[in-house]
Amino acid sequence: MSALSSGRFTLTPAQIRFASLLRREVARFMKIKRQTIGAPLLETFLYISVFGAALGSRVGRLHGFDYVVFVVPGLIMMAWATNAFSNNSSSILQQKFLRAIDDQLSSPASPAELLLAFTLGGFLRGGLVAVLTFAAASALVGVPVHHPEVLLPALFLVGFFFAQLGVLIGVRAEQFDDVSFAQTFVLQPLLFLGGVFYSASLLPEPFETLTHINPIYYMIGLVRYGFLGYSEINVALALGVLTLATAALFAVNLKLFRSGYKLRA
Amino acid sequence: MTDVKTPAPAAAAAPPALEITDLVKRYPTGTEALRGVSLSIGSGEFFGLLGPNGAGKSTLIHCTTGLAAPTSGGIRVFGHDAVDGYTEARAAVGLAPQDLNLDQFLTLEETLDFHGGYFGMRKQDRRERVSELLEAFSLSEKRHDRTRSLSGGMKRRLILARALMHRPRLLILDEPTAGVDVELRLELWHYVQRINAEGTTILLTTHYLEEAEQLCDRIAFINGGQLVASGTSPELAARFGVAGLEDAYLELVGRKELSRGLVA
Repeated sequence: MSALSSGRFTLTPAQIRFASLLRREVARFMKIKRQTIGAPLLETFLYISVFGAALGSRVGRLHGFDYVVFVVPGLIMMAWATNAFSNNSSSILQQKFLRAIDDQLSSPASPAELLLAFTLGGFLRGGLVAVLTFAAASALVGVPVHHPEVLLPALFLVGFFFAQLGVLIGVRAEQFDDVSFAQTFVLQPLLFLGGVFYSASLLPEPFETLTHINPIYYMIGLVRYGFLGYSEINVALALGVLTLATAALFAVNLKLFRSGYKLRA
Repeated sequence: MTDVKTPAPAAAAAPPALEITDLVKRYPTGTEALRGVSLSIGSGEFFGLLGPNGAGKSTLIHCTTGLAAPTSGGIRVFGHDAVDGYTEARAAVGLAPQDLNLDQFLTLEETLDFHGGYFGMRKQDRRERVSELLEAFSLSEKRHDRTRSLSGGMKRRLILARALMHRPRLLILDEPTAGVDVELRLELWHYVQRINAEGTTILLTTHYLEEAEQLCDRIAFINGGQLVASGTSPELAARFGVAGLEDAYLELVGRKELSRGLVA
């Protein structure tokens, strides 16, 4: 937070504005950190306990890795994705509900500044949970990092993509049910069926082919390759497509923010 | 209360604080909330906008502050176009909306501090201004409390403090005294009269005619999305051929049978 404070450096008014928009987003999730940081960490530990300790011994090794080690990259990615998404969708919808968001909307902030600040709020929360998960998983079971040059861009893009998706759903949503619908009936199934807990190559048909049309399968594949060096996918192609998809989603959101869609009358 | 951020425009060519030309706002539903409104508020004026519910008062304010996009027409704030030059236009406006739209996650201090930040105020300046405003609105003791713990009257005061945080040259008060008790209403009157005397232009919408009469230099009546009359309170009464502002208003909304003069 200290790097964001305006006192130490000579910031321009636009920089102060952006830092303040972002500080508000960070302040929101830090005030309810039991729910926004604590709960997702506990959830990840429960997954590691159940799939690692309890089931892992029965499953044995997958593609040469202990089962729990095979699962951890997907869990880290899932933590970043779900927290980035749910932070932004909730934050925007809550502010829309009481029209508190009008304080930002009637300020001199540009549509791009508003979009980026809302996006980075969830991105940072997801990143924090993911880093804490990684640190704890490393201490508990040991997680290698084979290709940081793929891992870092992959995780950043996944985090940014889902942060954008959270903004989109939050802006579109008119009630809390809309947000929980997207999370429970779309995001969660895609994440679970994208191969966090298993290898698609072990699935019988038609499930293996079905998995291949799930975009999250490729995201998990990239992150797993970054950590373990094991890949079932074309890494360069997946990274390229993910970059394009993230850029396209950002462009869609920026268009919506510029038009004031569901934010301004 | 002196304005240190924005240089004063040259006196000879000082643009109006707010200049609205042929403003039309049509919602996607087809409702035409504003049907060609034009008005000009001079720098330093205390201007009242009166009209029944749904007349278009809030829509006019929303178009001015960027919360609604005008369908056509022009809005200039101290010469800056509110659409094409929104950065400068919005920087000059402080909005105290009708709804108590406070962020319930934030403390009072954060509410003001973030708002100041959105308008580019530096940390030291924000810190001093927050203390000054919390003191002025008797909210210092609640500084670290979350806004949701405040009473309705305190929330109303905080909303006004937030609107004033960045020292706007044009303060827009959208029904600021709706539902507040007598002491707070008078307290707010005194405060806004003081800042008006110090140079801040004020646009006030209200349903309380005595409030408009007491505070405003000039008043405009808006009805059905159109500006139907404007002037001082005596001018409006004379225009409608009645004794006072209230009767002029009743003429406007077609309910002159409700005039207090007719009460036995």
